[in-house]
Amino acid sequence: MKLTEDDLYRASTQFKHWSFTPSQLAAQRQKTNIQASERVKAAVARQRAQRAKHFDTASASESERNGTPVPTDRQVDCLTVAEEKKLVDTFCEKAIDLGGFFKFPIEVTATGIQFLRRFYLFNSPMTYEPQTISRSAMFVANKTEGHHLTLEKYAAGFPKATTEQVLAPEYLIVQALRFNFDIRHPFRALKGGHLDMIEMARGNITPLPSNPEPALDIHSSMLKLPRKPNGPETNMTVNDLEKRITDAYSHASHILKTAALLTDAYFLYTPSQIWLSAHLLADEPLTLFYLSAKLPSSSPNYPKILATLRSCADLLSSHHSFSSPTTTPAEKQARDKKEKEEVQALIKKLRHCRDPDKMDLVKLNQAQKRDAVDAGGLEESKAKRRKLEREGYQKEADDFWGPELPRRENGAKAG
Amino acid sequence: MVISPVLSPRPNPPGPGMRALSTKTKTLAILNSSNAQTATAASTPGDPGRDLAEQMNDEVRKRFITGSKLGEGTYAIVYSGHYREDPSSLVAIKKIKVNQDYKDGIAMDAIREIKFLSELEHPNVIKLHAVFSTKDQNISLVLEHLPLGDLETLWKTHTISYTSADIKAWANMLAQAVWFCHENFILHRDIKGNNLLIAADGTVKLADFGLARSFADPGRIMTYNVITRFYRPPELLLGARHYGGGVDVWSMGVVIAELAIREWFLPSETDFQQLCIIYDVFGTPTEETWPGVSQFQFYTAPDNTPAPSLTLNSSAANGNPSQNTSQPGLKRAQPLGYWRNRFPLLGEDGIDLIRGMLTLDPLKRLSARAVLDHRYWTNAPRPTKKEDLPRQGGGEQKMGEDLKRRGGEVDTGRADKVARRLDFSAVRK
Repeated sequence: MKLTEDDLYRASTQFKHWSFTPSQLAAQRQKTNIQASERVKAAVARQRAQRAKHFDTASASESERNGTPVPTDRQVDCLTVAEEKKLVDTFCEKAIDLGGFFKFPIEVTATGIQFLRRFYLFNSPMTYEPQTISRSAMFVANKTEGHHLTLEKYAAGFPKATTEQVLAPEYLIVQALRFNFDIRHPFRALKGGHLDMIEMARGNITPLPSNPEPALDIHSSMLKLPRKPNGPETNMTVNDLEKRITDAYSHASHILKTAALLTDAYFLYTPSQIWLSAHLLADEPLTLFYLSAKLPSSSPNYPKILATLRSCADLLSSHHSFSSPTTTPAEKQARDKKEKEEVQALIKKLRHCRDPDKMDLVKLNQAQKRDAVDAGGLEESKAKRRKLEREGYQKEADDFWGPELPRRENGAKAG
Repeated sequence: MVISPVLSPRPNPPGPGMRALSTKTKTLAILNSSNAQTATAASTPGDPGRDLAEQMNDEVRKRFITGSKLGEGTYAIVYSGHYREDPSSLVAIKKIKVNQDYKDGIAMDAIREIKFLSELEHPNVIKLHAVFSTKDQNISLVLEHLPLGDLETLWKTHTISYTSADIKAWANMLAQAVWFCHENFILHRDIKGNNLLIAADGTVKLADFGLARSFADPGRIMTYNVITRFYRPPELLLGARHYGGGVDVWSMGVVIAELAIREWFLPSETDFQQLCIIYDVFGTPTEETWPGVSQFQFYTAPDNTPAPSLTLNSSAANGNPSQNTSQPGLKRAQPLGYWRNRFPLLGEDGIDLIRGMLTLDPLKRLSARAVLDHRYWTNAPRPTKKEDLPRQGGGEQKMGEDLKRRGGEVDTGRADKVARRLDFSAVRK
């Protein structure tokens, strides 16, 4: 029995549950957005109704006297699908910095970012605040990738996060991930392709069965590869070529650690397509040469594959982090500045359309455990123990923070 | 293989599972939104409409009925169960306990087990039907129902007799499981008789992925503190921080040896003793037989005065490993006669195979692929057909016992053998 890489990939949860066509992806985001918006509006309306009621009973006579109803606030301005995506993208980018700060290996950071992106396919930033979620998603990624870090040490890395806050959304996250923890990254594949190319540069070439050209000729045409598509032939030594291959690797590797993580690439393309596309952006003639050494360009699959790679490359190069040799620093700066302004406006907008019911995840987490007890989901003894623990905990919390505030103020404060 | 990347599957229409789920969630979402007003108004402030993810989880949970408790360990409780739609379709439900001492949220063992089992689908690997969480935030794994005990109980139960052909059949299923894991770049790191469960039809299935990990990138360090001691290869005992599939192949060799002799093959009380026992059989490794061995953290150079080779050889001829376990002297490997004496059930081919799997130097040890290519499988006797294999009545209780264990535990009674927990403090140095 022989397993191909395709067989293996097709059996992965990434392929089975987390690969989409662009329209499927858009539809899922739309669905999530609609549901979240409705929920925010309903929750806000309910809050206002309560506030009004409170107002009515507290000062019924006063409002009667004035004869004016409680002023209705304006409609909540919810985020659009595009705005939600932009916010998620931004927090993915911040997650890279977070990974850098903690010196996580790249696969931990990359996994954490994909967790975040997967989470927000089924949840909206309006419901769950991205900063909180990314912190926890990154912690789950550490455990998933077997890079152990104690919760205490991790939480201590943040100026304002408690261990409880890091853990509170953990179940929400793993549930949204549908308990799929394995992320297939393109890093190793790139490395493998790179080593393969280096071997070819050294003349170790096995021509395809369909190719009558002797290996020696293939090698010499490799040494003449133009620098740019349709450019003039070059005349490289083996050393020159090796250096060029290594440069392409570094560039592609950078793309995999930035743009590939920060776009929908993982949802839309396979790891192999992603690394080849990044390599295509890094050195097109070399990548095309490599491709044709593996698959005859006469094959009906060749144009299909190339079209897929080009569309993936377009996606990667559309990210603001991408810079090709032709991007001037000024251009990049302008792009980054525009990006920053847009994001700031969005964060401001988010503040006004957060779901008031999901502000305090720590409390929500406790409430959920409590509900399970109320629902009789636990044996009596266990329930009793939980109750005692909870009372103890609440008493402790009340001693420290004072008793719970009325809901309205609670919401306003957290906003 | 190099062609395959570019031929890789297109981002697909998601599989049937996904489609089924999404239609269900859609109807639920619609239901929810039409009822939004009443639903939210009625619910307590802390419980507004449910999340999409929560709805999906509930859908999964509702597909199963949990039955009676089969066993309870420190790590998990195992229940019998079945699909709601089809009560004859049995499953085992492993509910991960929330460990009061573990303050870091969801346990790594649980994450690892779910992570790897979700990716592996093979007749000789326990099937993970589904995962769901309950309201009180316990994670449950819905696992394949494997009621016929495990390989360890099989050799321990002396009322069952079995033949060379039976051993070959069991060993082959094990070898395929390990090969498949390695093909998927997954190291199991806890292969042993009682992690090899037997299905109702006699199929052997590798279970307990609580210590598994994927192959590390070159240069990344790993912990050596894995694999139950009797099955732990010499490189881990010596403190290797870089290793590969060879560790599982060694464990597999020990399991097959135990099946053949119907007793522990390499039992010991301590890690140091384990090394001595291994050296008794395979000889003390030297730079000649195992280049690089002296570089290991726990390597100690043997005295150059060789252990009295006469006694060693004579005990070997009797088929007894040397009792002289604490002598650090240079030991010689047991000769072929020892193997023929001790492993008559394996035959010449089988002996060659397990010696290939139990080679001290992991680089010279057979790979999982090479194990499957060995002539042992194709030469006579033919492995027994699954349906004709001897059965034992381990029953559901045994399955409960086996599934509830945490990685690295053996339940043979002696406390000091129990539980090699992963020690990360060493890794983080």
